[in-house]
Amino acid sequence: MTERQVQMRLGIGALLAALFLGLYAIPAWVSSPSNVGNVVLSPLFWPYALAGLTGLTGFGLIFSGFRSDRDGAPLGEPDGEAGAAWVRLAAMAVIMGLTMLLLPRLGMVLTSMLVFVSTAFLVRTRHRITAVVCAVLVPLVLYAFFAHVAGVAIPQGDVLRLP
Amino acid sequence: MSFVDSIAAGLSLVGNIEAFLALFLGVAIGVIGGAIPGMSATMAVALTLPFTFAMQPITGILLLLGVYKGGIFGGAIPAILIKTPGTPASSATILDGYPMAEKGEAGRALGMALWASCTADVISNLSLILFAGWLASFALSFGPPEFFTLILFSLTIIAGVSGESLLRGALSALLGLLLATIGLDLVYGTNRFTFGDPNMMGGLNFIAVLIGLFAIPEILAMVWHPTAHVGKARRLGKNWVSFAEYRRSFKSIVRGSFIGVFLGSIPGIGAAPSAFLSYSEARRTSKNRENFGKGEIEGVAASEAGNNGVAGATLIPLLALGVPGDVITAIIIGAFMIHGLQPGPMMFILNVDIIYGLFIGLIVSSVFLFVIGSVAIRGFKYVADVPKRILIPAVLVLCIYGVFAVNNNIFDVGVMFVMGWVGFLMMRFHIPAAPFLIAFILGPLLEDNFRQSMLMSGSDPSILVRGPITWFFWAMTFVTIIAIVRAGVRAVRTGPAFGQKPEG
Repeated sequence: MTERQVQMRLGIGALLAALFLGLYAIPAWVSSPSNVGNVVLSPLFWPYALAGLTGLTGFGLIFSGFRSDRDGAPLGEPDGEAGAAWVRLAAMAVIMGLTMLLLPRLGMVLTSMLVFVSTAFLVRTRHRITAVVCAVLVPLVLYAFFAHVAGVAIPQGDVLRLP
Repeated sequence: MSFVDSIAAGLSLVGNIEAFLALFLGVAIGVIGGAIPGMSATMAVALTLPFTFAMQPITGILLLLGVYKGGIFGGAIPAILIKTPGTPASSATILDGYPMAEKGEAGRALGMALWASCTADVISNLSLILFAGWLASFALSFGPPEFFTLILFSLTIIAGVSGESLLRGALSALLGLLLATIGLDLVYGTNRFTFGDPNMMGGLNFIAVLIGLFAIPEILAMVWHPTAHVGKARRLGKNWVSFAEYRRSFKSIVRGSFIGVFLGSIPGIGAAPSAFLSYSEARRTSKNRENFGKGEIEGVAASEAGNNGVAGATLIPLLALGVPGDVITAIIIGAFMIHGLQPGPMMFILNVDIIYGLFIGLIVSSVFLFVIGSVAIRGFKYVADVPKRILIPAVLVLCIYGVFAVNNNIFDVGVMFVMGWVGFLMMRFHIPAAPFLIAFILGPLLEDNFRQSMLMSGSDPSILVRGPITWFFWAMTFVTIIAIVRAGVRAVRTGPAFGQKPEG
């Protein structure tokens, strides 16, 4: 993406976010008592003020996008295998979603072992055996520290119960 | 309590092996964390934070301060050896450090970086000890209007100097302020964006937000491009820095240290601008100015003094006013809060033993930094050889444990993941994350002090300009805004897009 594209997309995004906040999100999800004497003391005042400033920043970003060079150099490094990268990202999102589902069921230690292995293989590690060994050891060491030193009640799950 | 009594109280708190061990360990973790490109001092501090929950407050905070100090120096090692700054603060060190490494003088450059860092660290710590107490006693006369104007000024600075575009910095800060509105209203107790979920009523967990914003995007970036980190370390060479070279660069080191102290004590500026300013001042005044950029050892000294001079000084606003000076101190403020401590002027009255304990620990940390830094320079190869694709899954698992441990709540792990995706998107769109986090911390304080001021005055806005302190901060805020606008206009005239900070 060029500077122009970044500024324009962010500006449009900020404007849409400001509109969404002002027209729907704040009226629907922020409640205010009916007897508030002054507008500046209302729980609605701060969110509306921030939504307004976000809109102004959006205008600023669009304006700066228009001023930018149309054929400017891309910001950052170009993406090589974008297709494969998107697939890996989607897989990572699935890993995170599954983590949330499995944490209460399998417990933190087993879930973390699975997360470790799947992430290591997702980033195409060349040290597969080391990855598997670390996947077992790292969650166990962290469990030992947090459960027995820090006194945190680490979720145990239905399958494995550690001392 | 007299000065001697305060020192004695501080000594009684830190005068044990546990505290010094934590500090030593912290510096070691920081140097290693800072030396691994992509890890950064910020991430090292964030990942160490959960381990402090079970510690005594002073021990935990010393551990984090050790990581901070070590991390800032550690960033210089890859900057010199593989032209990749371990932390943004080390960017200026590349300018002369890497050309020296190319000439086979990496050992000399790293030695000077260490000596300059330790000298700047001592100067910065002494400045903290001298100025924090004075500023805190002054801040005791602050009421809600004064704090409101101070925080507003801090936010202006953050939006103006962070990242490559001030508009994107401002957008980032606004997103942070918006996220901070989640939870029960501070005055009326009504719901704001809680969706009826009890987990959201206390607002989003700060640790989950910060780890999500700083650690998870690095993991996602690795998933996006698994081989981006591959680099090659250089040999140290046989030459080592001499005392004569240190003496020759001493003026630049001291100047850079004071530049760091000055810029570090202003909330939001951070170490990178300080390092570049120190470097450019050294280049302007040096007899060897034509060698700068080609491998001049004084350039390495100046940039390292500039960024390490900030480390102690950023604690001045943190301890005296309760306002974080940069992202790392924003994380450290979280550690204070978790241990039931509220940094600010009252801490100098209620917890003077902790304050002086920290001062003593910080002075000792400079010695530890010298010892550990000397070892780390020689052992960098082993740090660089840790396979990144093993390290990253380990970081992810550590994040899950650490975030869960704050409140024993799986919901916080979900918040961390969501914030990780937000942080990754921000990274892809070149939006700086630092203003987001600092605004997220300062947001409730800003709103709280504003509404308290309005309640005090019966909604009369003139209370916000009630005395010289508020006038001062309003003036500083306007000066900053004018400077930002002028920089933007100049950028438009000279070529780059509006909102883009000129290079240099």
